[in-house]
Amino acid sequence: MNFPPSAFDPSLSACICGCFRYGNLSPLSLIHYNNGAVYLLSKIAMKPLLFTVLAAYVVAAIHSILAFANKRRVLERVSFVALVFGFSVHTISLVTDWLRDGHYPLFGLRETLSFLAWTLVIAYFLTLGRYAAQALGSFTLPLVALLTFIASVTRGTTPATPDAVTESGAAWLFPIHTTLLVFAYASFFVVFAASVMYLLQERELKLKTFSAIFHRLPSLSTVNDIATTAAGIGFTLLTLGVISGMIWSSSRDGRLWHNDPKEIFAVLTWALYLVLVHYRYTARWRGRKAAWLGVAGFALVLCTFFGARLMGGYHVFG
Amino acid sequence: MSIILVGLNHKTAPVEVRERLAFTDEACAASLRALVDGELVREGLIVSTCNRVEVLAATAEKVSAPQTAQHITQFLSQSRSISHEFFSHHLYSHADDEAVRHVFRVASSLDSMVVGEPQVLGQVRRAYSLAVEAGTAGRVLSRLVHHALRVAKRVRTETGIASSAVSISYMAVELGRKIFGSLDGRTVLLVGAGEMAELSARHLVNAGAARVLVTNRTDETARKLAAEFGGEAVDYARLTSHLSRADIVICSTGAPDYVITQAIAREALAERRHAPSFFIDISVPRNIDPAIGGMSNLFVFDIDDLEAVIASNIREREREAERAELIVDSEVMQFQQALRALDIGPALGAMREKMQQIARAEMQRQRNRLGNLTPEQERAIEALLIATVNKISHPVMHRMRHSYDTGEEEDLQAWRDIFGLEE
Repeated sequence: MNFPPSAFDPSLSACICGCFRYGNLSPLSLIHYNNGAVYLLSKIAMKPLLFTVLAAYVVAAIHSILAFANKRRVLERVSFVALVFGFSVHTISLVTDWLRDGHYPLFGLRETLSFLAWTLVIAYFLTLGRYAAQALGSFTLPLVALLTFIASVTRGTTPATPDAVTESGAAWLFPIHTTLLVFAYASFFVVFAASVMYLLQERELKLKTFSAIFHRLPSLSTVNDIATTAAGIGFTLLTLGVISGMIWSSSRDGRLWHNDPKEIFAVLTWALYLVLVHYRYTARWRGRKAAWLGVAGFALVLCTFFGARLMGGYHVFG
Repeated sequence: MSIILVGLNHKTAPVEVRERLAFTDEACAASLRALVDGELVREGLIVSTCNRVEVLAATAEKVSAPQTAQHITQFLSQSRSISHEFFSHHLYSHADDEAVRHVFRVASSLDSMVVGEPQVLGQVRRAYSLAVEAGTAGRVLSRLVHHALRVAKRVRTETGIASSAVSISYMAVELGRKIFGSLDGRTVLLVGAGEMAELSARHLVNAGAARVLVTNRTDETARKLAAEFGGEAVDYARLTSHLSRADIVICSTGAPDYVITQAIAREALAERRHAPSFFIDISVPRNIDPAIGGMSNLFVFDIDDLEAVIASNIREREREAERAELIVDSEVMQFQQALRALDIGPALGAMREKMQQIARAEMQRQRNRLGNLTPEQERAIEALLIATVNKISHPVMHRMRHSYDTGEEEDLQAWRDIFGLEE
């Protein structure tokens, strides 16, 4: 894509930011920018921070995959540096959003995706801190980049600010509820990725034929440990998230339960991870069955996450 | 200056020839001093392993490559006291770029019998330190060997040439690592005391395994083997309970049927609280029921499985070796450039040229005053001037050559500064 030089003229971007501050395009501003590329550019100028983040994440993801394929330490380092940079800018961007918009930046689809990407990076960092599992990056970082991309081109439909949630007595609980759940989802993604790595390798060990990626993945023991630890953390966060949501909801309208699809899926998810955690923690090692549970659990997580949007209900605010 | 390599290896010579030519460390040092005479051969190094005997030499400028190769062949024949007809048709010789490439390929283990094997790098390093001790590794060969070690490291890290195991005992280590991550603190159980089992156990212990249990039908054999590893000989009758302690089981008994059956494995697994076990069956007929491999968290490899993986790993190494050759190609070019900068020859030539130019320029300046001269007279005056200049500069250049050969960088630089020569 070719950027016209004027796109980065600071006064112009300030003007565009001014026009689009709250995400709604005014028809007037489109008189001068009446084609798709310019429209996209105007979105870029509107969210320079988020696009910087996106660029860094894309670089990190590509280098992580290249490092996975080529086994070059240099590429791993490039990926890590880009990721640290992207994550720092992302953090700044979340904080500025919070200060500017006056609400916790985890509401509506755009903010949720961006926040989820941020959380996944944290989960990846925490995993790297404890295990030599760079291969996890090749699973996580493309997703992080994709989420950030969707977030950056999604219209900033910050819905009629969250009056709906701020009016209740325990309003401070709402961000805690959502944050806990997003972190739980990130943990479950780690369980999922580790489970997939386990299954891929276990299959090859049983078949006794090894593909090229076999040598690049962390050992069975490592991925098993990662899945077990992440499942424990995710389950704890999920439990706390559900409880905080219930308290918030009861302080708002006196009801703990609304029979809403998201709530039903959440309970199913909770039950499945309860089984998974119990199953994993009652033996030294569980292996294949536990790994399949980790994959199934993540499918349920996706249903919970998107289910509400598709089926409507209490949890749809935007 | 020229680099010559003459030698033979497992591809060109049978073992009867290689063993006759091989040098011990002591013989190596003495022979090196005999080889390097300072006239024809300025520097020398001998790589002698069970798969190759190679003599690497750096020679003075005016010696042709075939002449040096001839000289080295004679040297080999004399120092090993063997007639050269016995081995000369097995010899190969390389000069300059080709010699450099050969050294890089050897150090990178591209020329080895098992491509990617790690020992050859140590052998090259050893050969170099012997040459350093003997005082026959000068600046050219030092630079060459250091460059070769760098190339070997690059090849190792940037290609998968050595990333997979190609022997049964390493296979045990590699698969063990794949399953358990690290082998630190793991327990190995040897059922039966075969030679292959012993070798595998040794590799596992070197890779970090903490405990070796040995069991055998005859206790005496078990005790002897256990003593070698500082391990523990255990009762053959209570195999199941020992199995539950072992992370890696290597089975090599002469029993005609399964020693470890599904029932035994299941019991041991339950006792281990489902921690995985890795079974290696190197006995024929097999001693471990292959059906165990279908059970969760148990991994069974018999001798054929291991051989098949090894065969595919060897093919993988050969593919990676092609990538390694590209690295070697580019490094040979880099070395050639570095070497050119290193060579004193051109600098001396430039100096001589400069002096003679001064002489000729002076002659031109004074020519008119000399009046009419016959061409003979004119040539005689010029010859006189040039000869004078050469006679004066000769000892200087001799000193420079000496400083260069003995590596006295400061002196060399001082001479260069005096005559205004660029490096």
